[in-house]
Amino acid sequence: MTVVGTNVRRADGADKVRGTAIYGMDYTEPGHLTAKVLRSTVPAARIVELDTSKAESMPGVRAIATAADAPGLSGMFFVLKDQSLFARDVIRYVGEPLAAIAADTAEQADAALAAIDVVLDPLEPVLDVELSLAEGTRLIHPEWESYETAVPGPRDGNLAWEARIDRGDADAAFADAHLIVEDEFRTQRQHQTSIEPHAAVARYEHGRYVVHTPTQFPFNVRGRVAELLGARTSDVRVIVPTIGGGFGGKLDMMLEPFACILARKTGKPVRIVNTRSEEQATCGPRENAIVRLRTAVAADGTILAQEGRIIADNGANSSGETIACSNVASLVLGGTYRIPNARYVSQVAYTNTPPTAAFRGVNAPYCVYAQEMHFDHIARELDIDRRELRMRNLIRAGDEMVNGQVLEDAFLEEAMTTVERMRPWARPKSEKGTLRGIAVVPLTWITNPGPSGASVKMEEDGTATITCAAAEIGTGAVATGIRQIVADQLGLRFDDVQVSTADTDTGGYDHGAQGSRTTFGMGNAAQDAALKVRDQILDVAAGMLEASTTDLELVDGSVRVLGAPDKQLPLPAVVATAMFSQGPIVASGAFAAPPIPFDSGCMAGALFTSFTAATYHAHLAEVEVDPDTGKVTVSRYVVAQDVGRAINPQMIEGQIQGGVVQGVGYTLFENLRIGENGDVLDTGLETYRLPTANDAPPIDIAVLENPCPYGPLGAKGAAEPSIVPVAAVIACAVADAIDAPLKELPLTPFAVLRALNDKRAG
Amino acid sequence: MSYSFTVNEQSVEIESAGLTSLLSVLRDELGLLGAKLGCGEGRCGACTVLVDGAPAAACLYPVANADGSDVLTVEGLPQGSEQLTPVQDALLAHGGVQCGACIPGVVMTLTALLEQHAHPKDSDVRSALTGNICRCTGYQKIVDAALAAAETNGDPR
Ligand code: FES
Ligand code: FES
Repeated sequence: MTVVGTNVRRADGADKVRGTAIYGMDYTEPGHLTAKVLRSTVPAARIVELDTSKAESMPGVRAIATAADAPGLSGMFFVLKDQSLFARDVIRYVGEPLAAIAADTAEQADAALAAIDVVLDPLEPVLDVELSLAEGTRLIHPEWESYETAVPGPRDGNLAWEARIDRGDADAAFADAHLIVEDEFRTQRQHQTSIEPHAAVARYEHGRYVVHTPTQFPFNVRGRVAELLGARTSDVRVIVPTIGGGFGGKLDMMLEPFACILARKTGKPVRIVNTRSEEQATCGPRENAIVRLRTAVAADGTILAQEGRIIADNGANSSGETIACSNVASLVLGGTYRIPNARYVSQVAYTNTPPTAAFRGVNAPYCVYAQEMHFDHIARELDIDRRELRMRNLIRAGDEMVNGQVLEDAFLEEAMTTVERMRPWARPKSEKGTLRGIAVVPLTWITNPGPSGASVKMEEDGTATITCAAAEIGTGAVATGIRQIVADQLGLRFDDVQVSTADTDTGGYDHGAQGSRTTFGMGNAAQDAALKVRDQILDVAAGMLEASTTDLELVDGSVRVLGAPDKQLPLPAVVATAMFSQGPIVASGAFAAPPIPFDSGCMAGALFTSFTAATYHAHLAEVEVDPDTGKVTVSRYVVAQDVGRAINPQMIEGQIQGGVVQGVGYTLFENLRIGENGDVLDTGLETYRLPTANDAPPIDIAVLENPCPYGPLGAKGAAEPSIVPVAAVIACAVADAIDAPLKELPLTPFAVLRALNDKRAG
Repeated sequence: MSYSFTVNEQSVEIESAGLTSLLSVLRDELGLLGAKLGCGEGRCGACTVLVDGAPAAACLYPVANADGSDVLTVEGLPQGSEQLTPVQDALLAHGGVQCGACIPGVVMTLTALLEQHAHPKDSDVRSALTGNICRCTGYQKIVDAALAAAETNGDPR
């Protein structure tokens, strides 16, 4: 019996419940020094002088790093290289690094930081994206034209990046429309707030940097550190301990370069761990954004054309993925409904605020929220049922997305019908003191298409080991998924498959634990390697059993002759024989996503051009609103999600539950506010409120299997998407309950009361 | 000042300022890394340990207050053997563990809850967990695990 489709326990589980797993924040090396970073307290200034001489002679100080130690310019995913590790001549945000110190103790490092003399000449900060893009505003990067980019993208001064989709003839469609509807929406920053903050321990060994860091994407950290330090990529080695949560926040390098430089300068291991307030203030959150939509509609509700402009806040530089994923915003706007004519402009603007970055569901939750609230506006204008309007415009199998990609396997209708079976569409009744509302939202989402390499070898005892650099961020993709896939291919028990520690020196390239890609991409690479190992096993066993390889099967740790159960060989015997005949059994596997046809002429500045292994979803929410306090309670939540093939159904459910609750936080209260000085106001968990067990709604889940022809055993990405439609569906349900649109997130009690009062005031 | 108390049934004698947090004593002096420093402000519960059987946020708990007490950390639960406690076992059986950074704290909170409340309801479990932030799981599977672990406490009366 195969282990695929079963709820095996995660391989790292016992260590985690016993408290013995060593996380990045727990990892130390003997004799390590402690590092601290001096960060700017002003949002914009010219650096007149930075004098470290006093600090250098302070007790316990071993080394100080400044801009001179990190000559490189870089950017997330190497897309737009506008970031230096330390501010050079100009400070662009509160929290920007100015210097870093390694000392014997944290107290000594802190004391020395305070002794660094900084003389600044303040500049007028630009804190708002609209101001940033306005004519005549001071340029945050006056040298913007000199920056290297991975692909040409429309850029202009404070407009860091622009991605455009222009398809069909939007103008003609607007000219003929029965109705034109227009809206604007604004959303806030949301912080990943993994329980484990960023942490790194580096040493300098044989002329190379060896850094232990809990990162989601070891190869990205390696490349980014090397680029900032001006080192050779392969001279950085990244090793990943247990990771205490990421959600996108641990895709990029953060503290590693400081630890590396200081380790080289001191010749000792250097450890650096963020405090909670450093974490909230400087580690890039989901970007705040403005979304403007204008839609041409026929009398029956058919969408004829849509124009959209998204303005997302990049913060002070491109050290997050906000620009890299800018086109995802447009794709998600035009991926769920048929929009035959479209003009989307996704702009990312510089501001003097901490850089924004990846958070689960990159660039999308606010676009989906805007689109769905806008659809409700259209439904209201036309007096069409809200679900019906969605069903009428839904992309069906064979329809095109806005980029011209044909979604052959579209499964949105099935997802919507499944939800309908679980909770038939009907407006819940409000009563005195409790307003009730409902909404349902379909969604098409992407699986990150990045490449993976892995190898699989057979051990002398007949077990198998996968060597790869895939990071286990908690989803279970490494702790269960890829092991299950390999166990299935080799007829092994789950416990007979091990996975190496993620290490850039030993594992093949892997594109990181992002966009639900580990089970999909690494699963494919590991499956590829396992199939080659299987061939080798069968070859050797065929000789030993005097049978043809086509008559052999791998079951229960043995090779068996089909139909002759007594003719079998235990795997250790096959492995031993192989050892001295063909050599040890080992094979490498690789995965690159197949190219997806789309209309390349309709896009500019797009790094994500299509939806690989698209997944299809429907979410339904029912809410209760207290009209006196404005408090929203999500009373019921339903999810139908296409996962291609469920490798471990229980882990998938856990991802759905976790993503929905993160979405509840985003919708109702999470808000990483920026103050008048450009500083993050919510630097602690007292004001940055996270969902607790009492905020989590009851969630009914249907996992749908709509296999992907190029997914491992049909699997597609499953972990990321559950957060994407949550703000949309809850906000639409609240708007339904209070009978008034809500154009800003989060829906705090005050915001809801304001909307109710505005409505009463007419 | 010097403080003596037990940690996981071993007597310890700690020389330290009274306001030093119990968490830093556990992690930095005793090498017990199970309890995590998630926030250092009493808000996340990743540092939860039991002091005389009651959950406490060790990051805010002054070591002076532990004087004469019995402190239990996740490492003090059965270790080494194959055996897991019912709470630990149920967390894995129900898929309640993802990144696991919150889990040592969750295990201690639930251990204390089931000591005091052999057969808690869903709402009891959720209120007990309000001091433990889990950013990964959405809590449902942790609650399921707690209710299942309670069943090993025998029939409710
Ligand atoms: S670390 Fe103690 S409550 Fe967060
Ligand atoms: S499992 Fe990651 S925080 Fe709870």
